[in-house]
Parts: sequence; C-alpha cells; structure tokens
Amino acid sequence: MIGGSQAPSPQTYARGLEGLITGDTRISDIDGLTGRLTYRGYSIADLEANSSFEAVSYLILQGEVPTAAQLEDWQSELRRWRRPPRAAFDSLARVPRRAHPLAQYRTMLTVAACHTPEPENTTLDAQWRRPARILSWTSALAAAAIRHLDGLDAVEPNDELGFAANFLYQTLGVIPPDDEIRAFEASLIVQAEHGLHAAAFAALVVISTGADLGSAVLAGMGALSGARHGGANQLAFEMMAGFENADQARTWTRAALGRGHRFPGFGHRVYKCPDPRVRALEPHAERILRSHGLEHRWEIYTALRDEIESALGPKGIYANVDSITGLLYHPMGLPVSAFPIPFCLAIQTGWMAHCLEYLPDGPMIEPGAVYVGSADSS
Amino acid sequence: MRYKYLVTTLPTLSPSFDWRAERIDWPVRTEVGRGLSGVIATTTEVMWLDPASANLTYRGIPVETLATDNSFEEVASLLITGSMPESDPPGYSAFRDQLRSSRTLPSDVIGLIRDLDPKTHPTRLLRAGISALGCHELSVDDDLSGDRHWRELRIVGQVAALVGEVAAHRAGRASPVFGPSDSLAESVLIGLDGHRPDPADTRVLDLLWVLYAAHGLDAPTFTSMVVASCLADPYFNVVAGLSALRGPRQGGASEAVLDQLSSLDRPSSADRLVRRIIAGGEPIAGFGHRSYRMPDPRVAVLRRELAGLAERRARPEIFASARAIEIAAEAALAPRGIHVNINFYAAPIFHLLGADAALGPCLFAVGRTAGLVALVREAMDTIRLVRPLSRYVGPPERTLPGSGSA
Repeated sequence: MIGGSQAPSPQTYARGLEGLITGDTRISDIDGLTGRLTYRGYSIADLEANSSFEAVSYLILQGEVPTAAQLEDWQSELRRWRRPPRAAFDSLARVPRRAHPLAQYRTMLTVAACHTPEPENTTLDAQWRRPARILSWTSALAAAAIRHLDGLDAVEPNDELGFAANFLYQTLGVIPPDDEIRAFEASLIVQAEHGLHAAAFAALVVISTGADLGSAVLAGMGALSGARHGGANQLAFEMMAGFENADQARTWTRAALGRGHRFPGFGHRVYKCPDPRVRALEPHAERILRSHGLEHRWEIYTALRDEIESALGPKGIYANVDSITGLLYHPMGLPVSAFPIPFCLAIQTGWMAHCLEYLPDGPMIEPGAVYVGSADSS
Repeated sequence: MRYKYLVTTLPTLSPSFDWRAERIDWPVRTEVGRGLSGVIATTTEVMWLDPASANLTYRGIPVETLATDNSFEEVASLLITGSMPESDPPGYSAFRDQLRSSRTLPSDVIGLIRDLDPKTHPTRLLRAGISALGCHELSVDDDLSGDRHWRELRIVGQVAALVGEVAAHRAGRASPVFGPSDSLAESVLIGLDGHRPDPADTRVLDLLWVLYAAHGLDAPTFTSMVVASCLADPYFNVVAGLSALRGPRQGGASEAVLDQLSSLDRPSSADRLVRRIIAGGEPIAGFGHRSYRMPDPRVAVLRRELAGLAERRARPEIFASARAIEIAAEAALAPRGIHVNINFYAAPIFHLLGADAALGPCLFAVGRTAGLVALVREAMDTIRLVRPLSRYVGPPERTLPGSGSA
C-alpha cells in the first residue's frame, strides 16, 4: 500500500475489515470475479511459465522485470546471504522437537534477529538492504527446521543451485529431479504475493510503527501460521489423504455437503471464481503425482474439487491454492506439518514489497474500537 | 436495523464522536482517515478511551482510581476476566496463582537467552525468549484454539519473568531469585537491580503497569488481533505484538525522552532547549498523541510519582528537569493542541527504578500484555479473518518480453 495514499472516505465494510479499501498499491491486482492475478501487470500464468523465483521476487520488490545484469546482481546478493548465524541453528537444541515446526522456525528467526547486521537502522536505505538477507536466511533456517523434525542436521547450501532448488536440496539432502524443482518453483512464483491478506496486513501494521523489515516479516509469519491461513494447506491435504480412492471421496463429500460441512482449501474471501493459482499448479500436481505412482491422489483431488465446486460454485466457493500445494509437496518428501513453510518463504516477498511501498510516507496504522460495555460503574 | 448504518455514515473522525454504542450491526459505514483512523476494527467491553476528555476506563472504572487502589495483578484480572478481586475472591486467588507460577522458566529458555549477546536490544532478547517458551508450552498436536484462557494468562507472567531475566543478563548478573509469593512487580525489580525492592518502588512499578495496561488498538494489540484472526497460537500473537512494540513511533519513545532529559544541564535552560528543538523542526519527545489533543490525565498521576521517587533516590534534579521541560514545552506546544503524554514521565521513572533506556519498552511490555491478552481473548469469540483491500494503481496488464502469449 502506498503510504501517502488516502483511502476513500466514507466507506462501508464488514467485520474483519471486509470490503475496506485501505489505500493504493502498485504491486498486484487481484480480480476475484474473473480469477486474474497479476504482479506489477504480469499475469501469474505468464510468470510461472516463463520466469524464475529470483526474477519474480525482483519484479515484485522493484516493480520491473530485471535486466540480465540486474538479475545477476540480485542472484549473487541472494547467494551471499545463504549462511545465517550459527546461533540461529543452535537454538533448535533449546526447544523440544515435539513443538510445531513453524514455532521452531519462528524461534530460529527471533534468534537470527539478535544477530542481524545494523539492527537498529530503520532508514529507508537500510530497509532496502534487508529483503535479500531475509529471503535467503529464512530459506536456510526453514530447511534446517524441517530436517530437525527427523533429527537430521542442517545441510550446507549448494551455490550452484537457484533459490528453489537450493531450498529443496537443503531440506531433503539430495537434489530432486528437474521436474520437481520446476513444480516447486512454480508454487513459489504463484504464491509470492497476494495483496493485503491478513499476514501482509499484519506486516504492514508493524512496519507502520517504524520497526525493521525483519520484525514485520515475523508478524506476517505469525498470522500465516494460523489454521485459517497458511495452516489450511496442511488441513486440506490431511482431508484428502484420508481417502483410499475417488469413489470414497465422492461419497463422503456428497454426505458432507448435505451436512453443510466446511472444507479446508475451498472458498476464499477474495475469489468468487476459480483461483488462478490453482489453475497454474494443477498441471504440475498431476504430473508429479503420476510420476510417483500416486494417480489415485490426483483422482481424489479432482473428485473432491468437482463435487464441491458443482454444489457450492454458484455460491462462489471454489478450490483455493491451499487445496493443491500439499499434493505437490508431499511426493517431494516434505513432511505434512511443514507444508505452510514454502508458502511462507514465497509470500514474504509480497509482505516486504508492501512494507517498502508503504514506508516512505506511511502513517502509523491505528484503527479504533467501539466500546460496547457498561457505563461507568465507579 | 442493519440498513440504518448503510445509509448513515458514522462521523468517526469528528472529535465529538465518542466511540460508544449499545452494539454494532455490521456492516458499518464510517469515515476513514490517515492510518485507518476512524475505522471500527472491533467492539470491546474491556476499555474505553473518551476522545473528548482522554479519560481512560477499564471495564467502566477510571484508570486513575485503579492506579491508586489496586495492584497490577488485580487490574490484569479485571481486564482479562471482567471481575474485580473482591467480587470473586477464590477466582482471583486462582488467577493470581496461575500468573505467578508461570514465571518458572525452563532451563533451556534461560540458556537460549544467556547464549545471546547481552548488548542485543532487550526487546529482541524478550521476543526470542517468548518464542522459545511457546515451543515448550505447546506441541504440534495441541488444539490451538483449546484452553486459551489459562495459556494466554500464563503469557503475562511469562513476559514478566523473561523481562527480569533479560535485565539480569544485560547487567551481567545471575537469574533473579524470587518466590511464589512475590508479585510480578517484585520479581521484575529483583531482575533490575539484584535486590529485594523497597515496597514503595514496587508500588510505583505496579502503578505504571496499571496506567499502561490497555490503550485501545495500539500497534502491538492490533497486530496481535490480526494474527489471532488467523487462529494462530497465542505465542505467535505475542511475538508479533512484541515486533510492533518499539518502532520509533511506538514503545521506542521512552528512549528518546531520556536522551532529551540528559541533554539538559540545568532546569533553568529548559526554555532554551525547547526553543532549539522546535526551531530545528524536531518533535519534543514525550509530547503529542494522535488519539486526542488534550492533556493525558494519566500524566498527573505519574508526575506525582516521579516527584516522590526522585526524592527517595536523592535525585530531585531529575524531577526538576522534567518538570521544567514540560512547562516550557506546554507553553510552546499547547496552542497547537500538542500536550505532554505518558511516556514523558514514565521514562525517567523506569530509569530511577534501575532500567536503562533500552529496557524501557520491555518494562512497558509487561503492563501492555495484560490489555493485549484481554482484548484479543475477547475478540476471539466473534473474530473474522482480517483482510482489507487495496486499490490497484500500477501498470496495466502486460506480457513478459519473449513470452509467446499470456
């Protein structure tokens, strides 16, 4: 949100600030009626098919597609920060392994934030030096947090690999096949920015206090950890993994629809039509599942999707991105409780772009609360 | 009834709009100002800040009354549970036991803090500590929405324990030693200077926390509410809230107040100092508040407390300097509607209690956590995912160079 921009006034909005326009942005455009999502004017389908996560993160942050030289600089800046402070890794030994992986990852980030360069410098220049470090540090720390779930040590980065491939390598300990890297990178690209969703808004409130960009990202991560947000891809996958075949999924879904059940991974505050991120990822999910001999899981997904969309589509409920990412991540070897992590790594790009867009003139964000309690009782 | 609000714009930006209602029938139509001022983000029974007088009440009771008559723990109970100790003695007793017993930190959490450089900004140490504690409190199998009441209540005591630990680490001392019958204020003061505090000092810290406990949807509280709306566990909420605690526009203010105070060599130079700061286009630290344009009634309470504390510490010049700057700055700024705020006197009080400037936001955090927990818990009953919109004014649709078609 452009900090100096004035929101329209007056406005009508619902609980959860639904429908409230908070100001202007140049970062992304979401059309929830036709199902289009563009970053800086480029559709995610175009970016997913023709670009890399590095180039897309540059585009989201800087506003333009990088030239070859700019991309080279950005890639080397990202590689430069692939080795976070040792203390952040060591903090894993101080927390129980049964804690949620996102909570362990959160602790690594808070410890890393105690070792960050120029921590108290919140000039605009210093804030702009932070995105590369945040993207690369979080990638390495997230990989270590995931390995720690199985009691495995962290893996050194491989500087021959790009962002997506290196994350998978540091997480899995092996370089996955190209088509899996490709699918994973596609999931990062289509989830790299999504307007003022709750996590981006939380980050924006924090940056509006004059805090550093790392603090804003921590707040966004907290929001994303919630079951209504990033945690939804885990819940959606667990729902689908409970079925043995498509017929069983179809029968259960019909009965559940009759009971008015709410399905994780379906329905979205903004999209009242098919989610463009789902359309971009479906071909990748189908390909990866088939290559792993998991056709039945693809069939379960499509059965569920078709049943729910034909019953609830007229009410604007369609599969959202959380319904599909778990299907991609699971065959690659990512543990289910870690599914929110790749989403988090990707979408923090958008949070940082919104914060940097807001910073130059943005006032502190402080809405009001209406008192509905008793009158003075003194 | 719903229709009424759709056609009637609530004049929320008007100074005479008093932010009270029997209830809100969503959706609402309101004015929208800078930084979302005027926007109604939630309803609350916890506290009310009267924009016309800047009077603050918790559950209907004026905060000055509570500051005089009640301890911080009693006020935390009032904010969180809605009842005063005398109306439910067994309930209060259980509440206080929970609050105090949550101060036992796992050795791993103490170890994590002690491994960090003591010169790190203390709010960062506190945030790392609360995050690690959350890992010890909740496991991957926990129902994140269950049993919230006691868990979040524990956080208030846990923040106090961590602040004592961080203060001791910063001063190069061992972990503070205190017993289950010591109040939160006593244990934090032990962390601050290593000694059992004078009861008068405990009283001052309690009073400060009472005055700071809740103040509407300030940035830490509103951040936590947004995070809570996603159904995140309470430790994610508090880590996020602490991240919004000390931007220069938020809790960081107390550091600037102390710098300003120490730049004054004697009270009689206050006029000159104030004129120089204003002529340089800089703000006077500890002055101005965006919610209201009149003197904050909490200041009178703190001014008195600073006078007494400075006297006890044989440091009367601190009060004299602060008072001189206040008088000079009021004279210059009051005509513009800019008045002294609570940080102006809280900062030197924190200083005299043994906290260096950087610890100010941590001390503030203990008090504010009570209000934050109360407001977030209350909102959890009806909360919807907070997701506003922005208006796209960027480039029209385009295609990547070299891509066939998009």
